[in-house]
Amino acid sequence: MVFASITFLYWFLPAVVVLYFLFPSKWRNGVLLAASLLFYGWGEPKTLPVLCISVLIGYAAGLGMEYVAKNQRHRKILLWVAVLTEISFLLVFKYTDFFLTNWNRLTGSQIVLRQIALPVGISFYTFQIISYLIDVYRRKEAPQRNLLRFAMYISLFTQLVAGPIVRYTEMAGQMEKRVIHFTDIQIGIRRLVVGLSKKVLLADLIGECCQAAEKATQPSVVLLWILAVGFTLQIYLDFSGYSDMAIGLGRIFGFRFPENFRYPYCADSITDFWRRWHISLGQWFRDYVYIPLGGNRCTTGKWLRNLLIVWFLTGFWHGAEWNFIIWGLYFALLLAAEKWMLRGSRGLSEGRRTQGKWLRHVCVIVLVVISFTIFRETDLHRLGTTLAGMFGCGRLPIVSRETIYILRNNFWLFLIAVMACTPLGTYVSERIRRGNRRKRIFGILEPFALLLLLLTATAYLVDGTYHPFLYFRF
Amino acid sequence: MRTSDTKRTKAYGKEKAATAVLVAVWAVLAIFAWLKPPADLSLSERRTLRQFPEISLRTVYTGSYMNAFDEAATDQFPLRERFRSLRAETDRYVFQKKDVHQIYLANGYLAEMLYPTNEKSVRSAGAACRDLYQTYMKNTDVHVYLAVVPDKGHYLGAGCGYLTLDYTLMCEEMQKEFEEAQWIPIEETLSVEDYYATDSHWRQECLGDTAETILDAMGAKAFTDLERRTATTSFLGVYAGRSALPVKKEPIEYLTNADLEACQAYHVENGQTLGIYDTEKLQGRDPYDFFLSGASAIIEIENPNGDADRELVIFRDSFGSSLSPLLFRSYGRITLIDTRYINSDIISKYVEFQDQDVLFLYSTLLLNQSEVLR
Repeated sequence: MVFASITFLYWFLPAVVVLYFLFPSKWRNGVLLAASLLFYGWGEPKTLPVLCISVLIGYAAGLGMEYVAKNQRHRKILLWVAVLTEISFLLVFKYTDFFLTNWNRLTGSQIVLRQIALPVGISFYTFQIISYLIDVYRRKEAPQRNLLRFAMYISLFTQLVAGPIVRYTEMAGQMEKRVIHFTDIQIGIRRLVVGLSKKVLLADLIGECCQAAEKATQPSVVLLWILAVGFTLQIYLDFSGYSDMAIGLGRIFGFRFPENFRYPYCADSITDFWRRWHISLGQWFRDYVYIPLGGNRCTTGKWLRNLLIVWFLTGFWHGAEWNFIIWGLYFALLLAAEKWMLRGSRGLSEGRRTQGKWLRHVCVIVLVVISFTIFRETDLHRLGTTLAGMFGCGRLPIVSRETIYILRNNFWLFLIAVMACTPLGTYVSERIRRGNRRKRIFGILEPFALLLLLLTATAYLVDGTYHPFLYFRF
Repeated sequence: MRTSDTKRTKAYGKEKAATAVLVAVWAVLAIFAWLKPPADLSLSERRTLRQFPEISLRTVYTGSYMNAFDEAATDQFPLRERFRSLRAETDRYVFQKKDVHQIYLANGYLAEMLYPTNEKSVRSAGAACRDLYQTYMKNTDVHVYLAVVPDKGHYLGAGCGYLTLDYTLMCEEMQKEFEEAQWIPIEETLSVEDYYATDSHWRQECLGDTAETILDAMGAKAFTDLERRTATTSFLGVYAGRSALPVKKEPIEYLTNADLEACQAYHVENGQTLGIYDTEKLQGRDPYDFFLSGASAIIEIENPNGDADRELVIFRDSFGSSLSPLLFRSYGRITLIDTRYINSDIISKYVEFQDQDVLFLYSTLLLNQSEVLR
């Protein structure tokens, strides 16, 4: 099931909310677990056992580490066995065909591809289980003894399929006790509706524009840039919209999830971009891969090695195709280059550092747009042609009749989408809220604006067929 | 202090009430979705709506139950038509989109943005026409004619900045592929006003010049005593349904006289004999089916007041339904063949080609996706 669907918004969610608040507090985790399993099984019932086995392994390994608490060696073995088992699930279900394809290419053999169904959200819940196991191993957290609670933590439908990757540390207390105020529900609904609107009203419409651009019979340089910028907007609005919905839903049920995006397209450096984009994933790799490898407190060579490993894994996590690996390594290269270029700027005054900020913004945006072109195009040959075309090396006209139409047809949509990628909305609402009277009026009008957004998003769901979720495959 | 506290409490209460309204609307829609009896048809979209599936272990295990449920929940959502209109208006007025589901509104007319020109499809349609000629007509005395009906966008789109089919190219390709046919140019006889504002088709009452041009080319006469009547005043065509844009209903008018009223149309597929105009169809999914009862593989028409020795065969699509009655005057027998619904190999079962006038009349809509021809 996906959030942006009639089934979820008007069948599943109302039923779950009613049941959740009907039951007494001690039953509520059970309600959420049952709802989460239904939510997960709805989309892909055959892969439900994979989730259940992963949960059981994580749970048993956590308890096991407590059982052999005094024997560090046994704890370590348990950790490695559990982590490798979890990773092996990920490798088998997500990467088998990738490995077989490349093996066939290398050796000329013709092993038939397995075409194994990818369990939805496997990359997310595997990472959550691994973070739990490592935290328990590091004795940062006591293992969860209650299977129901542990299963709920991993499978909670609000963030199961698309994150944010919520650490056990952040959830342990909230699973024990949650207090829900009316404000939580208000804020939750706001985030949910805003996220839904970003996804349905902007990301999906831009996706349709990208489809039209991809199918164009008269490609041009401008059209390739429209496609690249369009996809850059789509992926952010799609993914951050989904994260907003996850955070909002969590809030309605009394959970506080970490933010996953902080206006990444406003970043003024690539480092800054990754502090703002898919924050929970970046932090996961930082805490569980980069720092254990030595981070940047080592020789330049080792640091470069660490950087390459982390970004290779980040790219590979996103998909079982070479373009994702190239995408990850592209960022490794950019980060290394950025670090090298900025090595002398530490001692500079604030004034000197802010010089050329706009230029840096533009550079970051262009580099990010290129990165998402790499991300979008799984066919490497086409990727090369597209990138060459974007920079005028593809013998394409600058513009075509079709390009002009697509541009005219989507100009306002792009403009609204660009604004949605900036903190403009938050800024405006904060300005309005400054005066007491205006704050009161805003407080009353806001739910009606949200209602309008909800109804409009519903209209697009009722009368539309194009509602893909880009991060679903991860 | 107390006053400001009271104000704050009141304001908070109003905020709560406003949020409650939002939740209440959400809940009402959800309850309505759960309880609303399922509808069978969407008349505006001219399709059957998906129904909620029967649950079984197998369908749940394979996931087909869930997929079918999702589709049905979307199709059966309450106030479907209102929501479709809301979407169309948001597209048009908020996002300033030029088209909604490829349908655009310009100068009061809805038209489909058909693009790009599928040259391969046009060539294949031309080849299919030639094959029919080679198979059935080559060594006979038939006179073969070819005309291509421009779609509404041809007259409307380019001037308003929309992408259009290349009508000239399509005509050239058809003539090249089907050299045996005498070309009848009809482009100049039409304008955008000759099409329904909300539908893809042309208006019969405006086709006088087109019919005359075709009849002139075939050496036949046009009716001179046709009377204009109104079949319905509340027609909403296929484009209105597909786009859900707010447009006015329009009339379907038709031309008739005593000769046409005497004509009998025999529908070979279902064995029914009907009149030229079928008023029952005005209540159906597509009121344009009023003309010759809509889609039919072969229709044999007897015109008791026509020349018994002259016969006309028209290979046509739906545009032919409204035009063809205007061509009947000189012919005692008219056969309409729609090769979308009958395999070309079995046409000889119904028509023996000897010395008829044979008109191939296809629209650019069909030529651009000619894979539907059989």
